[in-house]
Amino acid sequence: MLSFYRLLLYLYPSLYRREYADEMTSVFRDAQAEASNGNFAERISFRARESGGLVAGALREHIGIISGSYRLISFTRFDMRPEFRFPRSTVFLMSIIFVGVILALEKANTIQVKYAAGAGSIWPSLPWFLGLTFLFICATVLVILGILFALGRSGAHRLANIQPGTNRTD
Amino acid sequence: MESLPLTEPVLLVLLSLAEQPRHGYSILKDVERMSGGRVKLSTGTLYGALHRLLDDAWIERVEEDESPRDRRPYRLTSRGRRNLQLEVERMRHLTKLAALRIARKEA
Repeated sequence: MLSFYRLLLYLYPSLYRREYADEMTSVFRDAQAEASNGNFAERISFRARESGGLVAGALREHIGIISGSYRLISFTRFDMRPEFRFPRSTVFLMSIIFVGVILALEKANTIQVKYAAGAGSIWPSLPWFLGLTFLFICATVLVILGILFALGRSGAHRLANIQPGTNRTD
Repeated sequence: MESLPLTEPVLLVLLSLAEQPRHGYSILKDVERMSGGRVKLSTGTLYGALHRLLDDAWIERVEEDESPRDRRPYRLTSRGRRNLQLEVERMRHLTKLAALRIARKEA
């Protein structure tokens, strides 16, 4: 059950997991040890409660992120801080993007030269055009997701939570 | 900020911490004890509540060098205690009103 519990913890957002997973697992371990002394119905009830609680909790956290009420990631305001550093993976991603742009320019140049003599339209047939457009959009989405992933790894979204003082009481 | 009225699990978690700082499992057991075994929080529910209460600065972690990372105690902040008192006051008023209405109906 502990392995299954740890597996279910992966349903949570990664930042939440890093913050609470150890504590939750420890508390679960204690609770499980106690529940194991109960009868069959109590053990089943415990497992159902824990599994349901984790799934519902993970869903709540994800909805919090999507709805914008989650404070770990803010899409409405982002203050750039001097502590910000790009992760190492950014260099790799930027290099891929740069190579992609250069290749696209070269290809466009080749097509232009090929059709410059008036051999016909530079546009391929419609299905090909739509297919290429679809591939281009997919590639763009992948690049954007890659950049977002790299920014997520940088921890930039956590900088908004940094407070000058450690005392959170009034 | 958690808006009043509070949900029962959140209220019980706050009441548990009102007495003394507690770590996760201790809160879990105290909530069960306070409710006479009626409310059994799952760890998902407990840490969801703790997460929001920490975010709203109603509770805080007690930083102790000797406490392990997986057993960190929490305590109420002054804001949390004030809001808990407000909630208890609201419930007291509601209970009084309910008792009056019921008594009037019976009479």
